[in-house]
Amino acid sequence: MIAVGLLYFAVIVGISIWAARRTRTANDFFVAGKGIGLIALTVASVSVSVSGFAFIGGPGFIYAAGLGAMYIVLPAAVTNVMGAWVLAKRMRLLAEARGLITIPDAIGARYRSRGAQGLSAVAILVGIVGYLATNALAMGVVINAIFGLGLGWGIWIGMGVTLAYSASGGILAGIYNDVFQGTLMAIASVLVFLFVLSFGGGLGEISRTILAHDSVFLGPWGRLTPLAALSFFFVFSMGSLGQPQAVHKYYMLRDPLQLKWYPLLKTLGLVLVLLLYFSVGVGVKAFVLAGRLPPLKSPDQATPTLLLNVTPVVLAALVFSGVAAATMSAANSFMNIGAAIVTHDLPIALGRRVKNELRWGRAVTVLIAVAAAVTAQRSGTMVAFLGIFGWGLFASTLVPALAVGLNWQGATRAGAIASIATGLIVTLALETTSYWKVFSFPAGVTASAVAMVSSFLVFFVVSWLTRGTAAAAIDPDIQLVMDV
Amino acid sequence: MTRRISLVVLFLSIIAIAIGYGAAFEKGGTPSWAPWLLALGIPVALGAIMVLGAVRGARGIGPLKFAFAFVILILVVGFGAALALPATESTVSRLWLGLPARAAIVIYGIGLLPIIVLPVAYALTFEAMTLSAEDLERVRAMARDNRAHTQP
Repeated sequence: MIAVGLLYFAVIVGISIWAARRTRTANDFFVAGKGIGLIALTVASVSVSVSGFAFIGGPGFIYAAGLGAMYIVLPAAVTNVMGAWVLAKRMRLLAEARGLITIPDAIGARYRSRGAQGLSAVAILVGIVGYLATNALAMGVVINAIFGLGLGWGIWIGMGVTLAYSASGGILAGIYNDVFQGTLMAIASVLVFLFVLSFGGGLGEISRTILAHDSVFLGPWGRLTPLAALSFFFVFSMGSLGQPQAVHKYYMLRDPLQLKWYPLLKTLGLVLVLLLYFSVGVGVKAFVLAGRLPPLKSPDQATPTLLLNVTPVVLAALVFSGVAAATMSAANSFMNIGAAIVTHDLPIALGRRVKNELRWGRAVTVLIAVAAAVTAQRSGTMVAFLGIFGWGLFASTLVPALAVGLNWQGATRAGAIASIATGLIVTLALETTSYWKVFSFPAGVTASAVAMVSSFLVFFVVSWLTRGTAAAAIDPDIQLVMDV
Repeated sequence: MTRRISLVVLFLSIIAIAIGYGAAFEKGGTPSWAPWLLALGIPVALGAIMVLGAVRGARGIGPLKFAFAFVILILVVGFGAALALPATESTVSRLWLGLPARAAIVIYGIGLLPIIVLPVAYALTFEAMTLSAEDLERVRAMARDNRAHTQP
């Protein structure tokens, strides 16, 4: 297992050295010079769309909650093509029209507002801290499982390797490492899926074993309430339109006309990668109920227990490398986006420009990585909370202003700013009071869902109230991008 | 017109979802109709925002209306069946591709059927409904003009 782990890191180092030699400008560093081909971008996008959660936390969630946990990943059938229709073309054309490189750039250009750009930048930056810390901790767990060095060393080694390729090769290193990592994840996922089916005697036999002991597990909502399961579907479908790690990728495609096949390829890639999520969650439940695996100490042990007890060592090593790959690709993407916000968006919002965005981009990447590693090491259980908080914050602050705003000329600057502010404040207030148990939601209601609904309603109402200012606030080239 | 309708539908579906969540705060517990509002509101909201993204001026959404209607229907029927059908899962249940009926509806219906329709519809209508080489050239020409006017 150690040999496979070392081989994995060696490949990453090789790709990073190659990419660093090709990164010469800020445009190269943040959007790979808009020069990524369709297949590479698709695999990279699949890779960043699933974090370590899909390999560890997700199967554990199914083990604990039954099929209700599938409502987190079922939206993948719709989200990629929805993102393509709503955002991909317009974001990519914004890159043609203005040379934009960040999501706050797009919001600033759409509403001709440095305030909206700055506020969305702050919201993304706050969310990134949580997301990165979650992935740093996941990296620590995996590296510790492979090399046995302890969690703290695992966090710092994982973040150190990711930082090395992020700071040297920027998004170019990230993309090509993502291609390697995404391929690895897909292979690992398919092999584990086939192994589980073979070991369990087929899905029918696995289902029969579960039905004999726990029929609720295979009900349409599992152990969740219908409202909770549907709530997951809502947040993870509509909320996907605000996830910067995926939306940012639209800027990078070399030929905008290749967007034609992007949703189909990405959806198929995601289905492959998510086979592990389903098969391990359901399979391990059946194997434990049948006495073929020991009872789990915690649901998160579902994947490690399967790998360490019944799968061949090579497959286990491949999956652990896949988990490391998932967390590293997500972390790299967030480091890059965070660096762009600090060196590009926030200075623009303040009416300034950084002279050497490439140099400062690299420096800020280091700072963000260190901050995330320290947060991961010190936060304990709060890290999981930060990950959930990050997704919800992106969804509630960006979906109305970006996804609806780029498709509706009636959306106003005031509506966008009010919506982003609402998403930020409601998410911060509800998640924090909920975490500290000052307030608890009824079963099935989540802070992310309430914040996103509030943000939508505020966006529509304020835009309607200020509709007299809408048409005059759109530049002709942005208007063209919205009309095409 | 299509754009305006999709915006109104999106707004109304978000209101429906908000009412569904609001009902969960009732002292007596979540009323049985609350999940139905989400089961209806979520597919319609997703459909509305896809229409909003796909609509091209006076051309509307053309043949894409069939793809959108199919997916909204699949999601509504899938969620509705999961809510309405009785819980009969047991060791003697008939399995559909290895899963009991209600689970099969969720996993294969909601999780896989849209994949067969939506991305294919997107690809087949791409040049006509999403982006053509002429559209791209218009944007690039305007960008060139803007750069020419801003450069000293």
